[in-house]
Formats: sequence, C-alpha cells, structure tokens
Amino acid sequence: MMLLPLLLLSACQADKATPALGGDPENGRLLLRQFGCGTCHEIPKVATARGKVGPPLGGIAHRVYIAGVLPNTPENMASFIRHPEKHAPRTAMPDLGVTETHARDMVAYLYTLR
Amino acid sequence: MKLLATLAVLAVVAGAAGATFVWSGAYDISATDQHLPPTYWLMEKTMRRSVARRGNDIVVPPLGAPKQVERGLALYRAHCVQCHGAPGVAPEPFSLGMTPLPAPLVQTGREWPAGDIFWVVKYGIKMTGMPAWEFRMSEEDIWSVVALVQRLPYFSPDDYRRTAVPGLDAYEARASSDWEVSIRRGRIALQQYACVACHRIPGITGHEARVGPPLAGIASRTMLGGVLSNSPDNMVRWIREPQQASPLTAMPDLGVTERDARDMAAYLSTLR
Repeated sequence: MMLLPLLLLSACQADKATPALGGDPENGRLLLRQFGCGTCHEIPKVATARGKVGPPLGGIAHRVYIAGVLPNTPENMASFIRHPEKHAPRTAMPDLGVTETHARDMVAYLYTLR
Repeated sequence: MKLLATLAVLAVVAGAAGATFVWSGAYDISATDQHLPPTYWLMEKTMRRSVARRGNDIVVPPLGAPKQVERGLALYRAHCVQCHGAPGVAPEPFSLGMTPLPAPLVQTGREWPAGDIFWVVKYGIKMTGMPAWEFRMSEEDIWSVVALVQRLPYFSPDDYRRTAVPGLDAYEARASSDWEVSIRRGRIALQQYACVACHRIPGITGHEARVGPPLAGIASRTMLGGVLSNSPDNMVRWIREPQQASPLTAMPDLGVTERDARDMAAYLSTLR
C-alpha cells in the first residue's frame, strides 16, 4: 500500500516519457499532414491543419470519447483512425487506408496534445 | 500619504493571507463540516434578501382552487418530497446528507409570500441543491406547486397520507405554443440542461469539461456529431435526439423541448 503512490507517480512519469503505443510522435505529426487529416480537423502544430469539418483535436488526449462513441484509449484511437466506419457506422470520417504502424505513430502524436 | 501607504500594505497582506488560505487547502469543504454561526447567518440573510427583492414584484394569481392544489400535490410528489419531505414523510436518505439542508416546506409555506416561493421554484438557488424548474415546468404548474406549498402546513400527516395520487405527466404542459427564438434564453438553456457538464461552451461558466468536443467555433463547423451536416434544423435534431442520428453516440437524449432546442441552436449559431 505504501508503494502505491510511488508506483502511480512513476506511471505518470513513464506516461510522459514513453509515447503512446510505442509510436514515433514526430513521424506521427508528419503523417497527420500527409494523410490530409487537417482538411477536416484543426490539429496543433500540424501545418495547414485548420479544417472545420470535424472537431478540433487540441486536447484530444484528455477527451473522454472518440467521435462520441469510443472510450478514448490509445488502442481505440488507432483502431478508429484505421476503420472509422466500423465504430461509428454513419460517420462522415472516411477510411483512408492508414496502416497499423502509421496509426500508431499518429496516436503517439495525438496523445501529446493535452 | 502615510495613511495610503498603510492601507496599501494592509491590502497586500490581506490578499496574501487570502491566497495562502485558498492554496493551502485549509478550508474544509466537506458537507459534514458545519458553517460558523455568523457565516450561516450571513448566507441565509443574503439569500432571503435576494429572494424577497425579486419575489416582491411578481404578480400572484388566485391560488388555492382544489384542482390547482391537486395538481400541485402530484407535482410535489414527483419532484419535491424527495428532498423536502412532507407532513409525516421523511425526505429520501440522500437529501439528509446535503449542506445546506433542504428547507422543510411546511414551515416555508407558512412564512414565505407566494411570490418568493414562486421565484425560488422557478429560478433555484445557487450553491445549494435547489434546482431551477424554469425549463422543466410551465409557469402554471409552478403556481400549482406554490398553492400546494402554502396549503401543506395545514395537512395533518394523516391528511397527506390519504390524499389520492393523481396520474402525472409532469413534463406534458411545460412548453407553451407561442414563442420567439431567443439567443439569451438559449444560453441559459444550455446551462440548465447540463450541456456544460460534457462540453466547454464559450459564454457559459463551467468546469473544464472534456467528455465531448468543445463547442467554440461550432457555428463554422461542417458536421454535427460526425454524422449530420450543420444546419439550424439539424442542430435542433441533434440536440433533441442524438441517438436517432448516431445510434452509438454517448450523447444522451435529455428530453429537450423543441423551443429550448431552437433557442440553444440560436445561441450556438453565434459561436463562430
């Protein structure tokens, strides 16, 4: 019990140091631009990402739901990026053919947006 | 000059003491920690004076017709007895743990003018558990509650127990048919339907909500909930029946009336 706060503390620190899903945040940032995510979403520090079709992604790491339908975990976010219509059948967000590796990098970047 | 300097020093010291008090967390916020008697007196007085000033101008219709009291009784059983109790009936356990405690309305009914009771039922009281019923009951129904509250002290516990419970659809009559869309009313409705519990909305004070997306700039966004194109009609549709538009959405149906949804949409359309 005494160790619990220490464990939590180290978990928090690990959270900050280790990127989500072990992806590469910097590459994720570039990929978000390459896949045109910014056409529909505002994304901090992604050049030209000023779209107003979907919700802004600033602070997305802390949002409780993804697209209003999925609990926000790194795994769910990666899965939603790859196959949005599987999770939200009527969503306007298209399947852009993102690979698993690419999705992991994107999630790593999006999880830095606190 | 000397006086000014002294006052300035005192102001700085008082400010620092206040800041230390807040940041240290010394204040016990628990509902079991009683207020000091002077604090309680001051808050009670502030509330009472505020209500009296506003209730004073309200024109009171004739009260006490049997039908009206009966309607008031049905509403009271549906929405009030849980916290306030009734002759011979205890409030629900949860309400006993509230600070401030909900008032015993058999006393209020004897002591308060009708206009004051009406005002409190309609607008609620900040920083207490008393909600505003403005968006949940018609004015006519609120007057029925006032009529009942004024009669309640004269029910014996046995009278109260034996009163028939008429069937009630409390929400049936709250929306009147003629109204004009109001941006100002929409802003209040967004707060009164607890939209700010999940969304941050410019112009409405609330916590740092992160359940759904922030609504700043919603007027210039193209889609609603990812599924509907953003038009005034679709905004009303989305607000009233989100799960019809997006079956899996976490956004609940809050029972928003057509009028209230139109007003909310009008306010949201100003957020560019």
